[in-house]
Amino acid sequence: MKNIFYIIAVGYFVASCSGLPVQTKLEAYPAMYDDRKPLSVLVIPAINNSTAAEATDYFNVTITEPLSNVGYYTMPVEIVKDIFLKEGIVDSTMIKGLPTTIFKKNFGADAVLFVTINKWDKQYIVLAGNVTVSMDYVMLSTETSEIIWQYSATQTIDTTAESSGFIIADLISTAITTATTDYVPIAKQANYQAFYALPHGGYSDQHGLDGDQGISTTLKDAALDDER
Amino acid sequence: MKIYTTAILVFVLYLTGCATPNTGYYWENYSGTLYSYKQNPTPENRSKHISELRKIIKKAESKSSRVPPGVHAELGYMLAIDGDKAAGTSELSKEASTYPESKTFIERIYIMLGLGEQ
Repeated sequence: MKNIFYIIAVGYFVASCSGLPVQTKLEAYPAMYDDRKPLSVLVIPAINNSTAAEATDYFNVTITEPLSNVGYYTMPVEIVKDIFLKEGIVDSTMIKGLPTTIFKKNFGADAVLFVTINKWDKQYIVLAGNVTVSMDYVMLSTETSEIIWQYSATQTIDTTAESSGFIIADLISTAITTATTDYVPIAKQANYQAFYALPHGGYSDQHGLDGDQGISTTLKDAALDDER
Repeated sequence: MKIYTTAILVFVLYLTGCATPNTGYYWENYSGTLYSYKQNPTPENRSKHISELRKIIKKAESKSSRVPPGVHAELGYMLAIDGDKAAGTSELSKEASTYPESKTFIERIYIMLGLGEQ
């Protein structure tokens, strides 16, 4: 935990003098601040391009909470998945090419959100364990099919076990911790992180007030790197 | 790659400082019970998730805050599938009245489950 404060301090320091490309939310996502802004968002079950099959469930169960907390009406992913299955859609990649207007008609959604999991790598090296997760988020308007928000989030989360003071015991417990960690909070944290860049929706008291907040142009552009 | 990672780190930290979502929702252990049920869809895990959804609704009522999006819908959906159509439709209509923009979605659930007119 102490490390986090240290990193935050360094982070602020670096941010203030690094000259990284920054945009305000309003500059980056103008459609989120005018008539095109969505209130209801249909989250398409995640597309998993990582090597970990289990990552899909971790993301699907943890996306509703952070997205709702930013002020959007979010449809439960599990129900959406069942509706898709009834329609013969077993894989979200089947949806990618469809005109987004069908989601307005069938779900009443103002926007659809595609999430692609690119990385979900667990590793432990000697005494340290961690998991690196990386996702791309792309939100499209169901009125115009244009991209109205996109962001890329990568995060490495420490899963090192608490030290017992005995190296061999620590070695074993780090391996075990990395293998049996509850990844639900980790996936949730990753989703929260991405939505820091999302302009707040109608149910948030920050709605319309966050246009001058900064986001990373690099991460915004990175979300579309793997498209096509 | 190193620069990219640093850029990410910096921005996470930078943004963490400024954007605290404030919708006043209480989610309890929603993700946890849902995940357990998905991993191991036993009747016991199903009823645990249903109890969690009820707990979220109770909590919102006691704090006089809005029930988070989808909670009434998910509870109604599960109850209707389990055969309690009256309780199911009651929850589903609460979703539609709390969040009017969910109406088309709720109608869609009615059709899927054969619950008749909303």
